[in-house]
Amino acid sequence: MSRIIRNTTTREMLAQLAREAEGLSQRERREFLRKGVTALSAAAASGVAVAASVNTDNLPPNEPSWSRQLGHGVVDSPYGMPSTYEQHVVRRTVPWLTAESISSISMTPLADLKGIITPNGLVFERYHAGVPLINPDEHRLILHGLVERPLIFTMDDLMRFPSASEIKFIECPANGGMEWKGAQMEALQFTHGMLSCCEWTGVPLRVLLQEAGVKPEGKWILAEGADGAHMSRSIPLEKALDDTLVVYAQNGERLRPEQGYPLRLINPGWEGNTSIKWLRRLEVGDQPWYHREETSKYTDLLANGKARKFSFVQEANSVITHPCPEKPIRQSGFIEIEGLAWSGRGHIKQVDISFDGGVSWVPAQLKGLVLPKALTRFSLVTRWEGQTWLLQARAMDETGYVQPTLKQLREVRGTNSIYHKNSIHTWKVAANGEVTNVQIT
Amino acid sequence: MFKLPETAPALLGVGVLLASLSLSAAEPLGIGRMATADEIAGWDIDVRPDGQGLPPGQGSVMNGELLYESRCASCHGSFGEGIDRWPVLAGGYDTLTLERPTKTVGSYWPYASTLWDYIYRAMPFSAPRSLSVDETYAVSAYVLYLNDIVDDDFVLTQGNLARIEMPNREGFFVDNRPDSPNTRCMQECARPDQLEMVGTIGGITPVGHFRADVDAPAASHDAQKSLEDQKEEARLRALGVEVDETVPAAVALSDEAKAGQAVYEAACVACHATGLAGAPKVGDHKAWGPRIDQGVSVLIRHAIEGFTGKEGVMPAKGGRMDLTDQQVSRAVAFMTEKSQ
Ligand code: HEC
Ligand code: HEC
Repeated sequence: MSRIIRNTTTREMLAQLAREAEGLSQRERREFLRKGVTALSAAAASGVAVAASVNTDNLPPNEPSWSRQLGHGVVDSPYGMPSTYEQHVVRRTVPWLTAESISSISMTPLADLKGIITPNGLVFERYHAGVPLINPDEHRLILHGLVERPLIFTMDDLMRFPSASEIKFIECPANGGMEWKGAQMEALQFTHGMLSCCEWTGVPLRVLLQEAGVKPEGKWILAEGADGAHMSRSIPLEKALDDTLVVYAQNGERLRPEQGYPLRLINPGWEGNTSIKWLRRLEVGDQPWYHREETSKYTDLLANGKARKFSFVQEANSVITHPCPEKPIRQSGFIEIEGLAWSGRGHIKQVDISFDGGVSWVPAQLKGLVLPKALTRFSLVTRWEGQTWLLQARAMDETGYVQPTLKQLREVRGTNSIYHKNSIHTWKVAANGEVTNVQIT
Repeated sequence: MFKLPETAPALLGVGVLLASLSLSAAEPLGIGRMATADEIAGWDIDVRPDGQGLPPGQGSVMNGELLYESRCASCHGSFGEGIDRWPVLAGGYDTLTLERPTKTVGSYWPYASTLWDYIYRAMPFSAPRSLSVDETYAVSAYVLYLNDIVDDDFVLTQGNLARIEMPNREGFFVDNRPDSPNTRCMQECARPDQLEMVGTIGGITPVGHFRADVDAPAASHDAQKSLEDQKEEARLRALGVEVDETVPAAVALSDEAKAGQAVYEAACVACHATGLAGAPKVGDHKAWGPRIDQGVSVLIRHAIEGFTGKEGVMPAKGGRMDLTDQQVSRAVAFMTEKSQ
């Protein structure tokens, strides 16, 4: 077992370095300290990262450089950006998954996010023909088919309707889909990052349908996008009348182009692909259309060669976001184990945590907002003294559905269904605090 | 713009309006206007299994072959086998129960209507909605032919498409989940001696941003490309091959080129950023040098009219016949200035 660098030790070593550096010129001193700190990190036992290089000039008792000068003024950046020290908190992709970047996917850096809301610039991306840049004044939504009054709306029209705001997660059903056959992804961002949660604002689809008057034969709705893929999905009328939203804003501002600007659908709790972006057309019909994204794709092939279709709901799922491969344990002692749970069927009722690969479980606390079909944060505080953990979380939702083990899921579905892999996930915490992705069967 | 519902008196107070709305929630609010038949027809492109939505028209396997070769094969392969990671369109019969199934139009898709609908709405990838109705029938017929579903003398029409029986039409069932229930067990939920642990395969996940000294892919397509270029350069150097070290200076673009960037990104990037189908990559001055030497007017003509060279087929206007000649020539300016 490797040695854990405690805060005090680190500080003592830094202080010693600072003493040795005395008498050098300011520049030499800084260089010396930088090297010293690097050496210190290198000396840290296998992989336990020490705080990134630190300039001790800015540490107490010194007055830091930023406290001895003025910063920039208002509207220096009219649209504010995160601190430059947060440049690592970005969406990322796994390039070999797709032929190129235009029909591709990127993932949300879940390990660095707090609370349940995903900042707009970090919401995962999935395009089939790239991001169209749409002039909202030239965008139209046509609602037609089996309706009394086929209607056409401008964006101004749509924003005249009474608005509704809802916090809902959105998840690609292929989230985790690379791991049916075995553990492959060495980071939380790639095992679970096709997942985000925003406050969405728009018009309930039922209000628009009421405006057009659905004929009694109307049973399904085709939603279609204005991108080059003309992305299309069939949605049962029942869902449309229940909680589907026609959305123009996320987290308080208008939709980002990546998220469907100026208009998109949100089908709460359902696979993300049904939440058509750049929405331009809704057609009411009496049967589904069986388009490419509900036959060739987004159907779940089982081991017997038969495939499940219209598998809309994202069943209860959870993952521990701290610790995780990107956030190894750096210090022994007190630790808060945190994570996210979500269910397409409603509220998260309970999350349990196992330290021994699923043999025994203890309940975690839900914290902050607990909303239906939204990310829900859970937490458990404990101590870590260098022991090896096989860390798991297991969610239960308001319907009593309990997240399955990988073994249970594979027994019924085989390993070729790509979509809807919501099994209990395992992180192995090694004695040095490193966290790796493993599967337990 | 701010039209009131026709039935509402023009000078209603806000309170009165709200009250009247809440009283008759089922009444239309009168927002938006009736869509005209023309407006709907232009966008109503969807087709479903019973043939509803198919426009009149037809296309033969024979005509489809020519189209497919020029408009589709660069990505999907002459036999539908898929080039590089582009989708496979044909074959894969009897693989659905195998360890690695090949899901294609022939082996997996339940309805032929899906093929027509998808091609008409989304293909070819770099120029969606550029195929005419008859071209869509022809190229669909050809993809069915590549899958042994129709013969080589077949003509696909509005009338016969819905009658084509796809091999896997019985292969689907409606969602019946939950199918894998667990219970909320708290103690002795598994026998520790029976648990097996499998770790991750190293080296295939982008982890360079949080782990040092790993040989891993980058976390974006662009970064991965430059990583691979660097590795290739290092490999060539190790072999003693001379590597061109000149770092291209950032060029200031002309106004013409600046105006062309958006066109390039919308219509040309799919091939010219990646070298797809043999297209010279933008920024690759070796590939562009001899072409630029022909004179810009030749390049513009080739881009507008289309051009078949040693590397492959440059479709007229990149397949985007909706572009004006001026837009294309601006895109050429952007591409050549970026590649000098
Ligand atoms: C520039 C490369 C390219 C060209 C050219 C191209 N395609 Fe595609 N094709 C794609 C990509 C990429 C996808 C997948 C898109 C996605 O999933 O978002 C695709 C998907 C398809 C699919 C669905 C495959 C499946 O299994 O779901 C069909 C069918 C298809 N293309 C037919 C055609 C036809 C017919 C043409 C010629 C008219 C054509 N394509 C030209 C790149 C191309
Ligand atoms: C479907 C892929 C594809 C698309 C889309 C495409 N090109 Fe090309 N282009 C090619 C290929 C392949 C070549 C090389 C042909 C050869 O030399 O064999 C080429 C060559 C060219 C050349 C060089 C011609 C010459 O004489 O050497 C120009 C200029 C050009 N393309 C411009 C454009 C512009 C402008 C667009 C967008 C409006 C565009 N291309 C879109 C595939 C494409």
